[in-house]
Amino acid sequence: MLRIKGLKASINGKPILDGIDIEANPGDCILVTGHNGSGKSTLLHTIMGRPDIEVEGEIAFNDVDVLELECFERSRNGFFIAHQSPPTLDGVNTLSLFSEFAKFDAPDARKIEIIRKTKGVFEELSLPTDWTQRDFNHGASGGERKKNELAQAKLKTPNVLLLDEPDSGLEQSSRSQVTDLIKSVCDNGGIVFLVTHDQLLQDSYPTKKIELSNGQTL
Amino acid sequence: MAKPYNKVYTNENGISLNLHPQDVENHEEYNITVIQEHGHCPVSINIHPKKDSLSKVNVRIYAENDASVDCILSCYVAKDASGVDTDMQIRSWPFDKSRIQARPEMFVLNNDIKAAHGNALGTLSQEDRYYLHSKGITNYKDILKESLYEK
Repeated sequence: MLRIKGLKASINGKPILDGIDIEANPGDCILVTGHNGSGKSTLLHTIMGRPDIEVEGEIAFNDVDVLELECFERSRNGFFIAHQSPPTLDGVNTLSLFSEFAKFDAPDARKIEIIRKTKGVFEELSLPTDWTQRDFNHGASGGERKKNELAQAKLKTPNVLLLDEPDSGLEQSSRSQVTDLIKSVCDNGGIVFLVTHDQLLQDSYPTKKIELSNGQTL
Repeated sequence: MAKPYNKVYTNENGISLNLHPQDVENHEEYNITVIQEHGHCPVSINIHPKKDSLSKVNVRIYAENDASVDCILSCYVAKDASGVDTDMQIRSWPFDKSRIQARPEMFVLNNDIKAAHGNALGTLSQEDRYYLHSKGITNYKDILKESLYEK
């Protein structure tokens, strides 16, 4: 269970979230809605532990005080965020990075297994065949970057999946990959937070909905 | 198209290369990586494109500890070398107390050519660091070095 209580968040002294309370149970998919600037993305990044966000309040996951964990520790404890604008990393090979991602879930896995699994996911998402050899997100379109995030999520088994507009830039035919991912995480007892403006996605799976306005839930 | 020329140099005392891209059917790509863990390495790479040649030169420089690298990437386009299309890019990553100085230069004696160059230096921005941490990754330097070796 994930419990968020009295959560306040500010960036550079500017308040963004002002007293958010949420309870999510295993299998829940929570749709987070609200106008631009209402704090949707900040909520996800606060849960993930972005270091420049000043936080007050409580986030507990299965009785673990999440706010005590560094961002990378949250990731290693099953928190996963699919970023809205993933960066390009010059010089860093995509496959090397995916191999590192995979190590946290399967430390004993042989490299060849990781490569096979990774390539399989890339094929499912129709990413280019030379994708594994490219620098991370180098020359990638917005949609390909989003697929790269989905590929990582598919290779892991997140306990808490944070999806920040996973559909923007994604072609219509790939949107089912997002719903399949949400379903798979929820069926596995995970919790999903979904920020999206896509009506089809909004109607597809969420079990709960929260609407943010001026940093508060309506 | 010719197969790219890929070469990784590790802990060299000095590197001097003369590249001669040939003709347009033989598009030549050079990927030169310098990994310097200690000591000083002067690097001099000279490109002499022939008439109607198409070439791309990527130089990647990684330095760590107290290593230093001074790199000059020069392109010489002769008076009779019209139709040249060349692009040279330098990307450098200085870690720890290392130092990298890199500079692209062009000496062009013909007006009917296309030439581009770029030079970028730096490791990780705050946003990039957060991105990697959000994926559980804290050993960026090691991953980068491994990736560069594999190139």
